[in-house]
Amino acid sequence: MKIPKLCLLTGAFLLIAVTGSAGALASPALVKEKQCHTCHRFASGPAEKEQSAPDLFFAGDKFQKKWLENFLQHPETIRLTGHTRDPGFLKGTPHTGLHPVLNPEEARQMTDYLMSLKTLKESPPLNLPALSKGKRVRVKILFERDYSCIACHQSYNLTRQPRGGVSGPSLIDAGNRLRPEWVYQWLKNPKAFVEQGRMPLYHFDEETLKRLTQYIMFHKKDDPGK
Amino acid sequence: MKRAFFIIAGMILWAFSAGCGPDPAEEKSATPPAESAPTTPAVSPTPRAYPVTARTRKTYQFYCAQCHGAEGHGNGINAPYLTVPPRDHTKADYLETRSDAHLFTAIQKGGLAVGRAPCMPSWEHTLDESTTHSLVSYIRELCRCEAL
Repeated sequence: MKIPKLCLLTGAFLLIAVTGSAGALASPALVKEKQCHTCHRFASGPAEKEQSAPDLFFAGDKFQKKWLENFLQHPETIRLTGHTRDPGFLKGTPHTGLHPVLNPEEARQMTDYLMSLKTLKESPPLNLPALSKGKRVRVKILFERDYSCIACHQSYNLTRQPRGGVSGPSLIDAGNRLRPEWVYQWLKNPKAFVEQGRMPLYHFDEETLKRLTQYIMFHKKDDPGK
Repeated sequence: MKRAFFIIAGMILWAFSAGCGPDPAEEKSATPPAESAPTTPAVSPTPRAYPVTARTRKTYQFYCAQCHGAEGHGNGINAPYLTVPPRDHTKADYLETRSDAHLFTAIQKGGLAVGRAPCMPSWEHTLDESTTHSLVSYIRELCRCEAL
């Protein structure tokens, strides 16, 4: 009876050692087959020259599962000028093309794997309610005027048209794409995810962090809000 | 009534937020930004005291070029989408009318802090004072001008 247990523990240990973090699933063969490592980083540390697509080692913290599975089957452009590591980024002519299309089974398998990649030790649910229309206008002023987020990120204007800069990822469908807990942590301390980004660092107070998170999560293509 | 409220709110918002852009000589850059140091009131430094180094240029490319362009012409990738175009750092006409302290504050505290457009964010928690001073020097190099 002791031997099987030992085997089990050894197996779990090996799995952790191979995958890098306690909850991560083993990398499916699909990752190698699709050459995901060519463009994406699956671990922190120096990026390879060609790794000019978003980091995935915290994909499970960042993305909503439903969105991710759909994206892998129907890729869309989120960074209009490419990732900041793309050699063509500053020229607005990214070298990286549209993401490869996966079939439904591949997308399901890949999503399960990516959602298991996390760096946050704990990420308690935020349970933030949607902003009222009036509060949304107030936070919009913070977003556009006080913190200048609009200079680099597309968001909705008052008539729900995209407006804003393109060097950062578009926020147009952020409410379906991102997990609010990740948005909150990113705004609080982006260095928990990337060593150095092109976004200014801010020292938001708790209230502002939550308000901005709520505001970003309001951006949904399929839900104009009330 | 409701409609009137939103129209008025929209106009107010526009008045506050429109105008992203221009001014403040800014900087963002390309290099590992030093973590923000406590900000003391901007004191006009002598550019020569904070020379332009390779790190300064990298820092400019990393942060500032997104809006101001790789060569400082105000034509970065965000420029077409901003209500007010980012400052062209190669034009002396305007920049010679601004003191180094003004440029320093614009970078550290953002456009609004110097009465300019709000699209220029505050970099005080990203760029330390020494880096910011060297960026001011770099802007002087780009515009080939000094404050009048």
